[in-house]
Amino acid sequence: MSQSPTARHSGTDREEIFEGPNPLGLVGVEFIEYITSKPQSLGNVLETMGFRPIARHRSREVLLYRQGDLNIIVNAHGNGGVVTERPQIAAIALRVQDAATAYKRALDRGAWAVPVRVEVMELNIPAIHGVGTSRIYFVDRHGDFSIYDVDFIPIPTVDQHPPAITGLHLFGVVQYIGNERTEDWTEFYGSLFGFTALEDTTRFGILPKGRILQSPCNTFYLQLIEPEPGILDVEDDECLQRIGLGTPDVQATVAALRKLGMDFVPPKDEAQAQRGALTRTPVAGAMFELVQVTPTPGAQNRA
Amino acid sequence: MSHFQGNIDNFGMDSISLAGPLKAKLKAIQAAGFTQVMLQARDLVGHADGWRAAVQEVKDSGLRVTGFQVLRDFEGLSGHLHDYKVDIAKSMLEMCHALDCHVMLACSSTSTHATGESQKLVQDLRKLAMLAIPMDIKIAFEALSWGRSINEFPQAWDIISEADMPNLGLGFDSFHMFATKTPMEDLELLDPDKIFLVQLADFMWNEIKTVEERISTARTFRVFPGEGVHSDALATLVRKLHQLGYRGDYSFEVFNDDYQQIPLDVVAERARKAALWLGEDVLRRSVPMPNALRLKRHA
Repeated sequence: MSQSPTARHSGTDREEIFEGPNPLGLVGVEFIEYITSKPQSLGNVLETMGFRPIARHRSREVLLYRQGDLNIIVNAHGNGGVVTERPQIAAIALRVQDAATAYKRALDRGAWAVPVRVEVMELNIPAIHGVGTSRIYFVDRHGDFSIYDVDFIPIPTVDQHPPAITGLHLFGVVQYIGNERTEDWTEFYGSLFGFTALEDTTRFGILPKGRILQSPCNTFYLQLIEPEPGILDVEDDECLQRIGLGTPDVQATVAALRKLGMDFVPPKDEAQAQRGALTRTPVAGAMFELVQVTPTPGAQNRA
Repeated sequence: MSHFQGNIDNFGMDSISLAGPLKAKLKAIQAAGFTQVMLQARDLVGHADGWRAAVQEVKDSGLRVTGFQVLRDFEGLSGHLHDYKVDIAKSMLEMCHALDCHVMLACSSTSTHATGESQKLVQDLRKLAMLAIPMDIKIAFEALSWGRSINEFPQAWDIISEADMPNLGLGFDSFHMFATKTPMEDLELLDPDKIFLVQLADFMWNEIKTVEERISTARTFRVFPGEGVHSDALATLVRKLHQLGYRGDYSFEVFNDDYQQIPLDVVAERARKAALWLGEDVLRRSVPMPNALRLKRHA
């Protein structure tokens, strides 16, 4: 535990050098899935964040929301577990070059397979267990022919590609973890997916805590956050907690989303208002963070 | 806790030392003043009402589960044997997780089908540790003194260091160290934060000449610390581990056929004496132990 995570991922793992820094051929995030027994409440929040409902699942109470390149699925059934009113992030679907290969590689290195229950004519999307009760899907059908073409029916007359408000795109996902669990989860995302830890001095947004892991495709981040020091052991509290959305201009985004009805936690000062913002909604568990991102060439924003 | 009770909080009994059903074992261990117990998978799967009922019994007892044992012959296998062992490991991890237990013991392979090639051993132990990460379980890897290619703790330590997983560390068993006469100085190699469990036991022979005798002694005739002929060495060992900075749990790994034939409270009382001897005479603990609260460390 004395070694820095960077040292661990560059020097000692022979296979990683052999396979290159992006062993699963990760290209980004295809969708993020929430489960909640109150899908309409969450849907309302998503719409005030600029997302539009664009398609319904063929056989289940599941809606697909989209803005720009980001897809969010709201699932009212859950995945066999308890469905609570409070929305929970139940899955992240990763875009990979070849889903079957990525899935097999992850299992070879100690990931837990999720047994898939597929209805007639539905896609079998390979998945592994993530933090808590969440899952990580591997999707290799994106772009022209997507997974949604099979499982979802477009809502008539609705624009299937609603543009992103003020350039909003996925910045990352925040994961709450237990005490002294940072190294464990760094290893999990490092070995299985090729994530690398950023230096502790690299910070984004207005909630600069924990360890930030960068995806090997450089398109999004995971942020691991332990409980505050001095807190007694928190058991079974690990989860994907919230989504962070990147924007080139936080204040323009805040203004645009306010028009749609979203409320924000008031910033402490001007500098903070430029770095990021935090939504304030009546729906517990449906919190979003805005993060100021300087646009970089090659960033994958459709809008 | 009063000054007269002594501080035995990080010493625990192992269910294998006692006969009878799980509930009776838990009761006897608790009555002797212990706050934790080392469990074996058999305690759960052999329960008349199923393993989940056993888990509930453990939770109801209020005893903390020191660790869950033992995954055998995991590393070094290939093909269908490897896949089979991965399934076994997953079942055990699920039970360990259900117990809210954060340490699972795996001991070095004795299988003639297993390779001794260290890169494969490292790869397999990395995989085992990876399986354990989402469940917040640490894998304590132990060198069995009759292990095929790893039979002394420095060898286990080498593999652990090479595997370099945050949740893969050493399960240290004094019996195996004494049986192979591994030098005490080798303890200096160890990082105390990577010792996930220490199991202590004494035995009655001064010398164990053959591997066969080693196995039969290990499985039928260990005694509690202070009851055998290696008390001085055990005391030195515990003090040494303490000096190194080890502050984790000590579990009494006492397999003994005779103890299986005497009342549970009598055996538990012997364990209590061993704990008091180690806590008071060997480590000379103040009561209560300062800074023993399990709080998160500041970085």
